[in-house]
Amino acid sequence: MEQRWNYLVEEYQSMLYRIAFSNMKNRADAEDAVQEAFLRYMKDEKPIQNKEHEKAWLIRTTIHICLDILKSGWYQRTVAWNESFVSAKQNIYLPYQVKDDRTLEAVLQLPVHYRNPIYLFYYEDYTIHEIASVLNEKEATIKTRLRRGREEVEKILTEGRP
Amino acid sequence: MGIQEVTRGGAVPEYSNARKPDQTEGFQERLRQNMKYRGQGREDIAGTEAQAEKVKEKSGMGRIGAGPGIRVNSTALTDALQTVEVKHMSYEESDNVRIAVTEGYTLKGKIQAQEAQVYVEAKYEDGRLEAYQVDTKRVPEGTEHAIERFALETIGELKKEEEK
Repeated sequence: MEQRWNYLVEEYQSMLYRIAFSNMKNRADAEDAVQEAFLRYMKDEKPIQNKEHEKAWLIRTTIHICLDILKSGWYQRTVAWNESFVSAKQNIYLPYQVKDDRTLEAVLQLPVHYRNPIYLFYYEDYTIHEIASVLNEKEATIKTRLRRGREEVEKILTEGRP
Repeated sequence: MGIQEVTRGGAVPEYSNARKPDQTEGFQERLRQNMKYRGQGREDIAGTEAQAEKVKEKSGMGRIGAGPGIRVNSTALTDALQTVEVKHMSYEESDNVRIAVTEGYTLKGKIQAQEAQVYVEAKYEDGRLEAYQVDTKRVPEGTEHAIERFALETIGELKKEEEK
């Protein structure tokens, strides 16, 4: 059991944390979401077929947990302490150097249906097929969201508004 | 079924083909005017083409990786650049990464065993994955080609790290 937990943490923690952070925009809530995702995975016996399936399940669950927290009455009544990604990334391992922080900040301002596909495609290097599987959407839908999301990012960068 | 009766109505023209005198004159007049301004028209067209080239140059459209919906085709390949099989390299394995959200692509670069050779993997917004081998020694100085520039940048990054 402990071995399994250690494997999950070592393998997926950084990636899931970044995905959770892109949704929650603060460290504490992102950590809570990731921990909850791991707990759900450990608690239920999932018919996991392979590593890719395991990864997709964890990402999907983390995103759903984040969205549930964001929708919850308690969360909406409180004011979250939004941190910038720049400060947060100093504390987490990123496999690459983000040179354009402004664009990343703009991506984080996008509505959730654009933010997750854009974040997974560009910053986590997922393919359209993988994103469609993780988010339970058609590939064509993901392509449309990537294009529209990019247009929204351009608007934010040029006009300063989503 | 009854027998269809065919009349020869179509054989008779509904309108006369004969040109009226003022129509012919009008055409001649227009032709004369066109010939008169012919040279000027060409200059205008030439001006428009030059302007379009300038816009193209400024915006970077038509160059690899320089604008939304970028396309790499055989004509865009240069002496220093050739397409190779995609290796599906991860960000962790790459020496250099460029994330261009507003342009709709990502680039990953890795320096090959033979120095000066850089493997570049491009992923586009429409889902296409393409890979190139860039011989940085053959890249022309001051190149505007996005993939060639990225390959040079990758070599530069390595040198910076070595200096550190």
